[in-house]
Amino acid sequence: MEGGKAEKAMSNKSAGRFKIIDILLLAGVLLPLAAGILIKVLFIPAPEGIEISGAAIFFTIPLPLGGLPITESQVNSWIVIISALFMCLYITHGIRARVRTKRALVAEWIIEKTENLVLSNMGEYFAGFAPFICAMLALSGLSSLSTLIGLYPPTSDLNIVAGWAILVFILITYYKMKCGPIEYLKSFAQPVPLLAPLNVISEVATPISMAFRHYGNVLSGAVISLLLATALRGLSSLVLGGLPGILGDIPLFQVGIPAVLSIYFDIFSGCLQAFIFAMLTMLYVSGAFPIDTYRKRKEKKKIKKEKAKTVNGGN
Amino acid sequence: MQSLEVISINLWQILISLCNLLILFLIFKKFLFKPVKKMLAERQALIDGRYSEAEKAKDLALASKKQWEDKMQKSEAEANAIIESAKEEAEKLSKATLERTAETADRMIKQAQSDAQLERKKAEDGIKREIVYISTAMTEKLLGREINAKDHRELIDSFITNIGKDSNGDK
Repeated sequence: MEGGKAEKAMSNKSAGRFKIIDILLLAGVLLPLAAGILIKVLFIPAPEGIEISGAAIFFTIPLPLGGLPITESQVNSWIVIISALFMCLYITHGIRARVRTKRALVAEWIIEKTENLVLSNMGEYFAGFAPFICAMLALSGLSSLSTLIGLYPPTSDLNIVAGWAILVFILITYYKMKCGPIEYLKSFAQPVPLLAPLNVISEVATPISMAFRHYGNVLSGAVISLLLATALRGLSSLVLGGLPGILGDIPLFQVGIPAVLSIYFDIFSGCLQAFIFAMLTMLYVSGAFPIDTYRKRKEKKKIKKEKAKTVNGGN
Repeated sequence: MQSLEVISINLWQILISLCNLLILFLIFKKFLFKPVKKMLAERQALIDGRYSEAEKAKDLALASKKQWEDKMQKSEAEANAIIESAKEEAEKLSKATLERTAETADRMIKQAQSDAQLERKKAEDGIKREIVYISTAMTEKLLGREINAKDHRELIDSFITNIGKDSNGDK
């Protein structure tokens, strides 16, 4: 009896501790977002009239090549990263083989889905890419979704998306180089050497197109939303402007319609662009790696090594 | 407050953004994928352990069943052997008993025969002695004098022996 009581008390105690840690972790998720809103409210003045501009600059660190401006998009990226970190800690906290909690199921679901996605698009060799693709989806998606709480979406800043695209370009080149630089240079002369300049252009165009696609989609969504909001304001004042006093200021057409657009441009388009970006990354990287040639080369090297070994052994 | 142009390129920002993605990748790898993978591996190990335990238990049960059957068979054979040996023993015993009985009977018959012979001899001796005594006494009386008893007895003995021989021969 006493043992059972003690056990119960202990489990209660541990449950209580879990709750405290959970609250701390959830605070870690939500506080950065709140801080982002606070920074926006305190430091960034509301735009006057219709204005389409880039991210606001808080301050500039003097560096060569134009200095490093710390902008809204940078800060918001870090906010998203910190939130994601705490989210990871929260859903994997207390994860054990025997205990099935809801958040453990969420964590399992995320991992299973990303791994399946990577395996079906990239193949067995690239199974280690799952965390990278997951990070890309999360960073891009959450960045785009940060408009929902009024933050400036980092994905509508070309520099942010260009950084990711350049990372993808580095990966593509790395996997193309895996079979040796000669093979890499030869790949530009396919199918005929005459097309080499075009091949080079298409190679360079890959990251640029990726960056502009993502950035352009998010930014254009914002621009269209803004233009439409302005147009609706104009329409409201045109219809109700004749009424006297406060009745003339009722924003009749601004109620509801922008929300529908927001569902498309902020939620759907944001998630879709993240998915497209990750998908293109997977396809480009796995397509850049000539796995058959690589295996043949490896086997040849192995045979050479063994030959050298036997020769050495004979001596 | 200043803000960037809508399309602006800044190398440092690009570099930082690239690093941000790498950092998030490392965070996901370390804090999301690693613990979940570990947990999944543990669960797999748990399930495998259960399966192997069940397999072991099944093997054990089968083995003990086989052992049991073997034992049953063996005990049956043993029982048969015991019955067989008991039968043999009994047969041997009865045979021995019979033999001994026959022997004893033989011996008894022989004993009886020899006894009878002895008796007969004794009787013969007694009769002989009587006859000798009587004939000696009669002869003494008839002759009126004592004769040498010893010579006489020898004479009569030989005579009677001859008679016995004759009577034996008649038989």
